[in-house]
Amino acid sequence: MKKRLYLELENCIGCRSCLAACTQCGGHEQRNRNYVYDVNPLVNRQTMPLMCLHCVNPACARSCPAQAIQIHETGAVLSALVEKCIGCQNCTIACPYGIPKFDTEQNLMYKCDLCIDRSKDGIPPMCASVCPSNTLQWLTDEEIEAKQKHFTLDNGKWVTSMPYLEGDTNVKVNLPGILQGVTKLF
Amino acid sequence: MQSTISATTTKKPARNVNDAFASHFAKSMFLTVAGIAILVFIGTRMFTHIDLNLYGYMVGTIVFLGGFFYRFIAWGERPPTKIMIKKGLKLLFRKSTPKTAVNHLAIYDFIRNRGLYRWVQHILIGWGCVLACLVTFPLVFSWMYFTMEENGYYTIVLFGMNVMKVPAEGIIAFFSYNALNIAAIMVTAGVCMALRRRLKNMQARAEQKFMYDFLPLYLLLIISVTGLLLTVQNVFLHGWMQPQMSLIHQFSVIVTLIYLPFGKLAHIPFRPMSIFARNYREHYGEQEMKKCKVCGDHFVSVEQSNDVIQVLSTNEMEFNMKDGFNLAELCLPCRRKYRIARFSGFATHQVKVKEANQNARG
Repeated sequence: MKKRLYLELENCIGCRSCLAACTQCGGHEQRNRNYVYDVNPLVNRQTMPLMCLHCVNPACARSCPAQAIQIHETGAVLSALVEKCIGCQNCTIACPYGIPKFDTEQNLMYKCDLCIDRSKDGIPPMCASVCPSNTLQWLTDEEIEAKQKHFTLDNGKWVTSMPYLEGDTNVKVNLPGILQGVTKLF
Repeated sequence: MQSTISATTTKKPARNVNDAFASHFAKSMFLTVAGIAILVFIGTRMFTHIDLNLYGYMVGTIVFLGGFFYRFIAWGERPPTKIMIKKGLKLLFRKSTPKTAVNHLAIYDFIRNRGLYRWVQHILIGWGCVLACLVTFPLVFSWMYFTMEENGYYTIVLFGMNVMKVPAEGIIAFFSYNALNIAAIMVTAGVCMALRRRLKNMQARAEQKFMYDFLPLYLLLIISVTGLLLTVQNVFLHGWMQPQMSLIHQFSVIVTLIYLPFGKLAHIPFRPMSIFARNYREHYGEQEMKKCKVCGDHFVSVEQSNDVIQVLSTNEMEFNMKDGFNLAELCLPCRRKYRIARFSGFATHQVKVKEANQNARG
């Protein structure tokens, strides 16, 4: 059963467990590849996670002169192959979400690979495994559809794709209730 | 008057050497094979000194060239690669090029930063292979051979010229006979280190695949071990089974050559691109840096920002925002904050607060 990473942004409590968990994934060399942002840092404590959304047509891979960014059969956009990455950093400029990180000493780009050693076998990525607030979830398409019904919104604003993202993505994002015009009940 | 004539008569296209070839591939193949043939003609003193024992390698090399050009011409046609190659060649003669080349191609500085163990194994495999190639191919095409005119002295002939006369028992002769053995020992040691890492290291184990990560190591190991066995057979076994082993060795080398452009080993001929990339970033970074449209930080060269926007547009990706900028004109933190702004409906990127620490290790 194919599962996807699914984000319910406003659940985030800013614990940064996802960042810590990311460092522990095999192949991540103890460096995290995801982000947690304060939405309005001077006013309140609302946070939101941001990670690679695994575009169906990834700009990073399109802009890579070395074909170092491969797309896995599950749709995950993988981190740069260590032997191919030439350190030009085109991917960091191309990514519409600013996700790829670059290590100047190792001359190597690294980014979220959806913990491919786990997710290729249907095991949730590290971030989704540890998220205590159900911000990051690992769901089948049917479960995501059921969620959609649960929110009973018919305004095309439920799961973000366009216009909130720049293209179709493999990771699905649920917009905060404030943009959908509803208050969510948990 | 002149202009009307040229407008009405069909303009004769300028003659170009490329018209003689059906494709880029045909041209590269023809020029390379012709170049090798000429060098062989010179090296063998007009085909009088060909070592036919190595004939299989010659055919293998030609097949390898076919795969090599097929793979790399297709790769060079990709828009970002094309730009990088074009600008890289233009900037090849920068002052920093020799230093970058040594760092990237000879001592692999960046691999040392990925770990000492990996660096040692890469040095052993890399330089072992380079040494082996430097010996093998000149011998295969008879660019280098040895003659003995006077008893006890070898004459080393390079491209048909007598370069030097060395005593058959001397140090130079010793290293000449044993260069391939030394290379084989280096590669064997390096491959064993690499295999050990792949079996023990949990991070390597998480990602590796047999076909991609192990196969090239096994191929190199087979080549090295069969090569060393040839020496063992000659020195200790009076050449017992030597012709058979020689065929196995030859077969393994040719399979590896044919495989080279298509698997993990493709990074070898491809690696000089990292010098292009470094020069590209240094040169255009010195010329003019791009200011982030939101925070004003200099984060990339104007040239690269424009190149990326152009490459993406050839892929029909335009990230022009309603807020009046292209996403490639925002520094990375601002671009991420801008996305949070799109998600939340609040202009996070406009808040003048430095990005919070995003490193889990503090």
